[in-house]
Amino acid sequence: MSAKIFSKDEWVGVLEGLKDDYRVYVPVREGDYHNFRVLEAGTRPSFDFQNTRMSAKFLAEPQSERMFVYTLDEKDPDAHILKEEEKAIPPLAVVGIRPCDAYAFKLVRRNFDTPDYKDPFWIKRYEATTFVGLGCNDPCKTCFCASAGSGPFDRKGLDVLLYDIGDAYLAQPLTDKGEALLDKAAGGKEADDASWKTAQALTRQVAGKISSRVPTDKLKDKDVNELYGASFWEDVAFSCINCGTCTYLCPTCWCFDVQDEVQRLPMAGDRIRNWDSCMFPLFTLHGSGHNPRSQKTERVRQRFMHKLKYYVDKYDNGIQCVGCGRCVQFCPVNIDIRKVAEKMNSL
Amino acid sequence: MEPGRLHFSWISSAEATKFVRVANEVVQAVKDAGPAKRLIKGIAEVA
Amino acid sequence: MIEYTQKIRETAKRLLSDGVVDVFIGYRKGSVPMMNEPVLVRDPGDVEVLHWDSNCGLNLCNYLTGRTDKVGILATGCVSRNIVTHVIENQITREQLHIVGVPCTGIINHRAVKRAVKYREITEVVEEPGSGRFTVKGPGYEETLEKTGLLQLNCATCRHRNPVEYDELVADAVPEQEDIQEFKDVEKIEAMEPDKKWAFFERAISSCIRCYACRNACPLCYCPTCFVDESNPQWVGKSIDPTDTMTFHFLRAFHCAGRCTDCGACERVCPVGIPVRQFTKKLNKDCIELFDWEAGLSLESRPPLDVYRKEDPNDFIR
Repeated sequence: MSAKIFSKDEWVGVLEGLKDDYRVYVPVREGDYHNFRVLEAGTRPSFDFQNTRMSAKFLAEPQSERMFVYTLDEKDPDAHILKEEEKAIPPLAVVGIRPCDAYAFKLVRRNFDTPDYKDPFWIKRYEATTFVGLGCNDPCKTCFCASAGSGPFDRKGLDVLLYDIGDAYLAQPLTDKGEALLDKAAGGKEADDASWKTAQALTRQVAGKISSRVPTDKLKDKDVNELYGASFWEDVAFSCINCGTCTYLCPTCWCFDVQDEVQRLPMAGDRIRNWDSCMFPLFTLHGSGHNPRSQKTERVRQRFMHKLKYYVDKYDNGIQCVGCGRCVQFCPVNIDIRKVAEKMNSL
Repeated sequence: MEPGRLHFSWISSAEATKFVRVANEVVQAVKDAGPAKRLIKGIAEVA
Repeated sequence: MIEYTQKIRETAKRLLSDGVVDVFIGYRKGSVPMMNEPVLVRDPGDVEVLHWDSNCGLNLCNYLTGRTDKVGILATGCVSRNIVTHVIENQITREQLHIVGVPCTGIINHRAVKRAVKYREITEVVEEPGSGRFTVKGPGYEETLEKTGLLQLNCATCRHRNPVEYDELVADAVPEQEDIQEFKDVEKIEAMEPDKKWAFFERAISSCIRCYACRNACPLCYCPTCFVDESNPQWVGKSIDPTDTMTFHFLRAFHCAGRCTDCGACERVCPVGIPVRQFTKKLNKDCIELFDWEAGLSLESRPPLDVYRKEDPNDFIR
């Protein structure tokens, strides 16, 4: 199937039409920023954004997810047995996700979907999702996707790529999933040559707008112990307040913590997994009371080493970062991964 | 917090009658308020 | 306030060279607009990294907890009050500190600036020395704005711009703001019916992601283990269930009662824009009304919640 063009006037109507077949997530303005929300009656999609404040990682890994339910009621023959929470996950479509954030799912997948280990919760949601990406006409000054294996029109994580060509979107299907979605989309017309030319010109023009370059070429050859023992970590970490902003906003941070909660009576409970952050001291606290990363410098080092060295060594496929720049923009104390990467790369 | 749920009192160990009165008043006030309406956690509201 | 920068560097150099302090805590210029980075300087040769302007919003008192060396530190009005609170609460001794006071004309509200330029991307914010104006630059535009109307909300109603405790000042004291109606927002909430009040706070925290930036940016939150991190017993659930999120915000606020200086760090750092100060500000108002108390104004007096005074109000006790 070939690409389609949707005029911006008909666009929201097109998305409304997809609701019959998908749970559609769209960017919505909430106060000072945008986030993805389900398209429902009263939802006003807004595509006037550079990127959403929260990444879309919650689609496959909600911040809190119930995995199992159980009862402690001894009279119940099923007492103490964890039962998987049955979830009906409908087909999901996320419309307007930035290419970098979609590529992040590919990186995160390395942890949740491996030959040896398969995380059924993550995989189920991921496989249910169709990624309709919106190419970036106006990347931020903090964007360094081009140095992180991605780019403003990166297709790797997408099923459909949208080009904003002024008064219309050019929708290019990239996978079967993407074709299926465009098949179901009402309206639009076949893309003409002029629109393609506009889209291609756009791609070339925007490539030059990514002004942040982060050198990562030497990371692989560095000695891991030398980097670990580098003298700059204390200075890098000094200002860190150990909040979870960087990790929670990051599209490629995926760590979680599993918690049992007994709240309902009689004695019934939930096993929930929640996002966790390597910035929190509790993250590594052992049952014995020992904490292998009790100091903030150790925690800050871990975050950067994990993304910029351990992953590079383990998968030989670049850094665990897509260059979205959220941590750069929203770190309350301005710890800038671009500067840290430079320090590590040039050690 | 819902009104009527928080009570403070200062009762000396010699003031048995005051203790009884205050305890009864607190019990009555809480009964009047009925079951709590806020900050009650049932099934956690998660995905 | 950018004009203070040179004096700050000179002061830090002198203090470090003369051995008055072992380390100096200040700010360096950030890599993104309206965001400077707290920095620790050890070597007098490194003082050139120090920088000051109206975007030094994180409370430097955070970095004092548990230090054992002699520390030079920059302190605006609110930071100096937090340092006093730290000393009163035995988190550091006064003798360890050389407080370099910074008379403050307020910190820029980064959210308000983004609104003022209609959410266009901001690539640079340049402060004009001494003028109270700054220029915002972005792709294809440039706008000069007045700082006064774009202050952080806590700075707009601040009555303690000058440090209350210091060893030296980097500049002459600035005039304090007068005729401030500090608690208008609190009064509005106070006037609400209980259900409406509840709805207000429920809405306020609805976007919370439990990243704890508010708690960690707060100099008062230095507990070795916060109650939300306790696991035996576990006081609060760790999911984003609204009951747990609400419990976190309420309890944290109460832990700050009589200690909060309204420095605004909690609200400034929130990545999702929660009006965090609305939780603590009511308690500040109560402390003024009930105990005639504002935190951190003097090293001599004890905070209201750790002393008993005969004149303490007690009409809530039956």
